[in-house]
Amino acid sequence: MSKALPNYGSSRPVSRPLEGALDRLFDSRNVWSVTVAATALYLLFFVGYPILYNVIMSFQEVSVSNVGRLDRPWVGFANYQRLIGDPLFPLVVKNTIVFVSLSVILQCACGLALALFFQQRFPGSGALRGVILAGWILPPLVVGAIWKWLLASDNGVFNYALQSIGLISGPVYWLSDPSSSLLAVTLANVWFGVPFNMILLAAGLSGIPREIYEAAMIDGAGPFRRFTAMTLPMLRPTLYALVALSTIYTMRSFDVIWTMTHGGPIDSSNVFPIWSYKLSFDIFDFAGGAAASTMMLIVVFFVALIYVRSVRAEARA
Amino acid sequence: MKSLLKTAVWAAASVFASTAASAGEKIQIWHIFGNATEPTLVNFTRWNETHPDNQIDQKFIPFAQLSQQLIKGIATGDVPDLVTIDNPVVASFASQGALEELTDLVKGSKIIEKSKYYTGSWNTTIWSERQYAVPGEANTLALYYNADMFRAKGLDPDKPPRTWAELKELSAKLTDPAKGVYGVGFSAIQSEEGTFQWLPFLQQSGGNLASLTSPDSVAAMTLWADFVKSGQASKDVLVKRQFEMMSAFLGGSSAMVVGGPWELQRMDKDAKFEWRVATLPVREGKNIEASALGGYVWGIPKGAKQRALAFKLVEFMSEPEQMKRAWSGGRLPPVPSISVENPANPKAYEVFKTQMIVAKARGPHPAWPLISSAIQTAIQSSLTGQSTPAAALERAQAVIKPLLDKNPIEGL
Amino acid sequence: MSTMDAEPYGPRHYALAAAGLLIAGLYLFPVYWMYASSLKASFELNATKPTLLPQAPTFAAYAWIFVRENVGRYMTNSVIIASAVTALTLLLATGAAYSLSRFRTLWMDAVLVGIMVSQVLPPALLATPMFVIFKQLSLVNTQIAVILATATKTLPFAVIMLRTTFAQIPTELEEAARVDGCNRVSAFLRVSLPLARAGYVVVGTLVFLQAYGEFVYPVSLVNRNELQPATVGLYGFVGADYSDWGNAMAFASVIVTPVVLIFVALQRRIISGLTAGALK
Repeated sequence: MSKALPNYGSSRPVSRPLEGALDRLFDSRNVWSVTVAATALYLLFFVGYPILYNVIMSFQEVSVSNVGRLDRPWVGFANYQRLIGDPLFPLVVKNTIVFVSLSVILQCACGLALALFFQQRFPGSGALRGVILAGWILPPLVVGAIWKWLLASDNGVFNYALQSIGLISGPVYWLSDPSSSLLAVTLANVWFGVPFNMILLAAGLSGIPREIYEAAMIDGAGPFRRFTAMTLPMLRPTLYALVALSTIYTMRSFDVIWTMTHGGPIDSSNVFPIWSYKLSFDIFDFAGGAAASTMMLIVVFFVALIYVRSVRAEARA
Repeated sequence: MKSLLKTAVWAAASVFASTAASAGEKIQIWHIFGNATEPTLVNFTRWNETHPDNQIDQKFIPFAQLSQQLIKGIATGDVPDLVTIDNPVVASFASQGALEELTDLVKGSKIIEKSKYYTGSWNTTIWSERQYAVPGEANTLALYYNADMFRAKGLDPDKPPRTWAELKELSAKLTDPAKGVYGVGFSAIQSEEGTFQWLPFLQQSGGNLASLTSPDSVAAMTLWADFVKSGQASKDVLVKRQFEMMSAFLGGSSAMVVGGPWELQRMDKDAKFEWRVATLPVREGKNIEASALGGYVWGIPKGAKQRALAFKLVEFMSEPEQMKRAWSGGRLPPVPSISVENPANPKAYEVFKTQMIVAKARGPHPAWPLISSAIQTAIQSSLTGQSTPAAALERAQAVIKPLLDKNPIEGL
Repeated sequence: MSTMDAEPYGPRHYALAAAGLLIAGLYLFPVYWMYASSLKASFELNATKPTLLPQAPTFAAYAWIFVRENVGRYMTNSVIIASAVTALTLLLATGAAYSLSRFRTLWMDAVLVGIMVSQVLPPALLATPMFVIFKQLSLVNTQIAVILATATKTLPFAVIMLRTTFAQIPTELEEAARVDGCNRVSAFLRVSLPLARAGYVVVGTLVFLQAYGEFVYPVSLVNRNELQPATVGLYGFVGADYSDWGNAMAFASVIVTPVVLIFVALQRRIISGLTAGALK
């Protein structure tokens, strides 16, 4: 601990004893440890138990009648084996990987492009950037419903527009064709998440001192070079945090897909949270639902590890 | 001996509860009715007016959340005294001990009697020969059709399709891609709604859940698959809920559609064309009239505090005076002898009443959600063309058969 | 970024503004669609050929939701819950985020991993055990429970994003303050916190919006309709067998519009915050 930041506190002159004690207290690291502990305990208390409850449930036999107790029959890894043996498992894993990776990459890329664009100085740049956030404010239920309308094959605006400009001759079955439904829900989800990424990246960009750019311009660095050599590295902490958070949020996102396709047709847009929800609340297989969510937990644990590692690397650099 | 004693105590307690202890107690209800004009809510108000001592403390829970909330309630011992349950899950809840058994209370009731009810409705409340719920409001499916479109194609709107062959013929004639019109519509979505809409066709075919691989059952699936393959039904049936299919009908992109009475108010208000309702067609050679049974039932969750009082309220809700109101919310009383005077949409009312007689319960089966899920997959793989109907049903059969072997379903 | 603030707008700026308008317009089309739909009668809403502009705009849906749906009560609840969640989140997140940005120990890393992992399960799966906790605390059926539960979603987000904000502030500035006689806390309050203002505005806004949109926790922790926020009201339009999207869109428009307007107004603040930060 002491390696990271030497403690200067003790060397400073102190006039009165009480004030000195307070000053020493406020100068020690303990104050900060307490704040971290408060947050950690808060989460441990309110989310730790529910997560543990889910994990425990995934190793037990659970029915409606014993769902409230913890002393249920233990079944070891039976629930996991059942899920992994389910013909749906490989499909749901594949769908989740496609959905999450495409969503995160596209949201981040579009968010960055928009943040860079609106960072330029022009009339109304701030207001326009603010208005774009409207997309993210909509309730997920409404987002799902709107996109379902827009992408409807018969009277959807998308097909209508594409047909009007002659890009397609017949309707495209965005949602009802199993080969495109996952992409369609991903598109809606990307749309939904872009403002969130944009605004956080805009905040990150604003933290980059302007002088650096001005110096670089004097040195004759072009815009591309400035972007790769300065913007991206300076933005790295924000990017890491954003990618980690987006991955987690996308992994648990539920309402948009639920409203648009219910995971269909034939499970072509079924991802882990949908599967877990259907197991728990459609067919009352609570243990199965808990096992599916615990698998998500493990994946996210690794995402978090990668994030923390990259944070460390960033500190060393 | 012990259980006998328990029963005696419980009986004594409930008699006591129903006479004395209930004064001043509130009845907690969870229900799915978000709209203040719902007949059930009107009936709640009526109860409150006539029972000042036992007011209703009601909570609206969005339909999609109800099972979840009920399970949470059971898990934490925080259950209401009464809850509206979607009928196909009654057996699941009952078989897992989540509902109070009502057999004796119903036997002692003068208002709620088996003989008065539609068989389908009553069946949804029974599990393993015991009663766990009481039918509330019922609904069923029929065929809506656009009379103006019939006329435009030179068809007689007084002659809706009576057989599958006529349905196919009319649907082919009514389909008009240039105008964006599909001949027929139904919801084949991967959820309970898809199962609900397909089951009547399975029954009409002469097939059943126990023999999904029979040529008859396959014919029912082929009928739907062919509608999509030939472009007479939109591919969007795979992701559209029933109300969305009805929206397509309302917007003029479907000439006929399978739908329920809950849509009537919307049709009255919004349809800009002449629409009519007919009973679902039958399969030629079989002539089996069939429809699906929907609606909610009243259940008393295990651990409810005001059981006797709750049952009194259920009796009140089952009186003709209250039940009659169902039609104004687009549903039917589950009791055929209760007729609605001067019903709105009198013709549609007659059609749906006729359908109610042949409407079959889904289940009851404790694993209904699993069975239904296998059917949904079969529907979706057949309609997308990923499998032939026969192959898809064979896979569904493999899932369903062991479940039916364990707990057979009569007549499905 | 390459131009001085004082320079007057030229043709290039107006070309950029036009492009910006186009981008925002394209992006916001689905939002426009919500507003347009809320003004369409049902027949038009479902028409075979979609209409870009409502052909016969009607305010019937708005009349309905204002008369029937008690939208005012719903919004008051939403604002109360979201404000409290924002205050609680920022209060709890500040110290943790700062510490996590300054001190790197195994413990801190473990906390960071834990904070992220706590985010993965959808609220639907957490709601039941959480209900048990709040029941023990006798907080069921209070908005306090909703606030505490919702903060578990927003707190990790705030910690992680504010951590990044603090990480961007050079430690030299604090050290200079400490040499001038500040202790760590006062150095933080006087130097780092003001510099992090822009980050706070952004994170605070996003926390508020997340809390404003939360649905699962209120619906499962509160049994009384009069305490529910607008998101729960919205689900009232999606029934067992039918949904009322025309009215739902009007309801959504009503609950979303004020928030959008406030945010656009706040945008000025953010910009001034950003410039102030950049000049240091």
